[in-house]
Amino acid sequence: MFAPKQEDRPASKVGGVEGADMAKPAVIVVGADKGGVGKTTVSRTLLDYFNANNVQTRAFDTESPRGTLKRFHPEITEIVDMTATADQMKIFDTLNTVTPSVTVIDVRAGLLSPALASLRDIGFLDAAKGGQITFAVFHILGPSIASLDEIAETANFMTGARYFLVKNFINDTQFFQWDQSTYNSYFHRIKDATDLTIPKLNEMAYEQVEVASVPFLRFVANKGIHDEAANYSFVLRGYVRHWLANVWSEFDRIKLTDIVGAAKPVPRSSEK
Amino acid sequence: MPATPVYIICSPRPQVGKTLVARLLSEFLLLKNGRVVSFDINLKEPSLLEYLPNITETADVIDTYGKMQLMDRVIVDDGLAKVIDLGFHAFDEFFKMSEEIGFLKEAARRNVAPIILFVADTDRGSARSHEMLRAQIPPQSLITVDNEYVVRGELLPSMSRGRVLRFTALPTFLKTYIDRLTFSFTGYLRHEKDSSTELHQWIRRNYFMFRELELNLILQQS
Repeated sequence: MFAPKQEDRPASKVGGVEGADMAKPAVIVVGADKGGVGKTTVSRTLLDYFNANNVQTRAFDTESPRGTLKRFHPEITEIVDMTATADQMKIFDTLNTVTPSVTVIDVRAGLLSPALASLRDIGFLDAAKGGQITFAVFHILGPSIASLDEIAETANFMTGARYFLVKNFINDTQFFQWDQSTYNSYFHRIKDATDLTIPKLNEMAYEQVEVASVPFLRFVANKGIHDEAANYSFVLRGYVRHWLANVWSEFDRIKLTDIVGAAKPVPRSSEK
Repeated sequence: MPATPVYIICSPRPQVGKTLVARLLSEFLLLKNGRVVSFDINLKEPSLLEYLPNITETADVIDTYGKMQLMDRVIVDDGLAKVIDLGFHAFDEFFKMSEEIGFLKEAARRNVAPIILFVADTDRGSARSHEMLRAQIPPQSLITVDNEYVVRGELLPSMSRGRVLRFTALPTFLKTYIDRLTFSFTGYLRHEKDSSTELHQWIRRNYFMFRELELNLILQQS
């Protein structure tokens, strides 16, 4: 797996981990029923975060047949059709048998509720409730009431799961914070939900990473697809590094490495 | 190998002498090195481009594309000294961007030496901006310019704690003379036979100050 130089990594407050000594398998579902809210972007930041923290991870991209997540993280990503039983088996029957015990699933638009229903039906949610599996859902919210309405729908499946409401600032939306009653009616509806904020990334920087088709971390390190030296704009790399550091500080805040059971945290060399 | 210097002449205030300092410094570097590239980020003030069109390029930091055009050139260690005449309207945006993209850290990594020449004024806005720069920039890279014509001997104590470059005020008739678009400092030194004139000595004193600044930079690196 690609590992950029330490100094190229955005700073993170929580230490890294030695090895991948996981207590139990962890599954992180990233999804929303609405499209274009940044599910794959958040999945990519998660994979970069785990990579930087030496947490071995595998990913499933449900944008079958052509996956966006796979384009950026081809080595660890497999494209699956979550509605197909064979692919469900591929993901969930291997949780205890494969080495990376953290699994990130990027659920395509419109599939979050059906996917959670499937997980309930196969007894996965019960296993999470029983503590055999760590299960977390990153519910990416868009700047519309329709997007917020999904919260109630998804909440029914959240017993036993860590539920994160991700406010993705893809534009200058306020998520109705200016209207406290509306805001509270959505964001305080679920008792144990945790808010996460993903700041807006400079548009040109985002597009440049798209063109480069590399993980954010590799872009920051000025490396190409095959780890060769690249020539990305210093300004755009700076914007990505700054943004990624902000995103990761949110992951640090929720103690994501602890949630997935990564052990033996040690400070990164830049923090020593 | 000595670091490539990048001089950023800035102030949050208009009409404090930024372009004058940028002109002097650009002409000094051109005389000394034979080449220099200057960037004019002034949309609303007297323009460096009008004074030194052969060595000056326009730039802006309003949008990302402009920032890329400027900073991706400035960050290159090519041995070519660069001078940025940063207009007052671009002050906040430039240093916000600089902080966000980690300009100083990357510059150090690439053997590029940014030197910020903050042209002082006595107002509260200047004091706040200077404080902001002190928090962001290492002391050896932040130099306060005390332009006597503007500050009138009342440089704020907080600004005089670090390194200060002092430019004495010229009489009004000489100021009018050097403000002419066709005026060249080096040209004057070359063509004026009488080296005892006030302007001759003023230019030489300022060039000497810049030479000292460069030597300090080399000493810091060694």
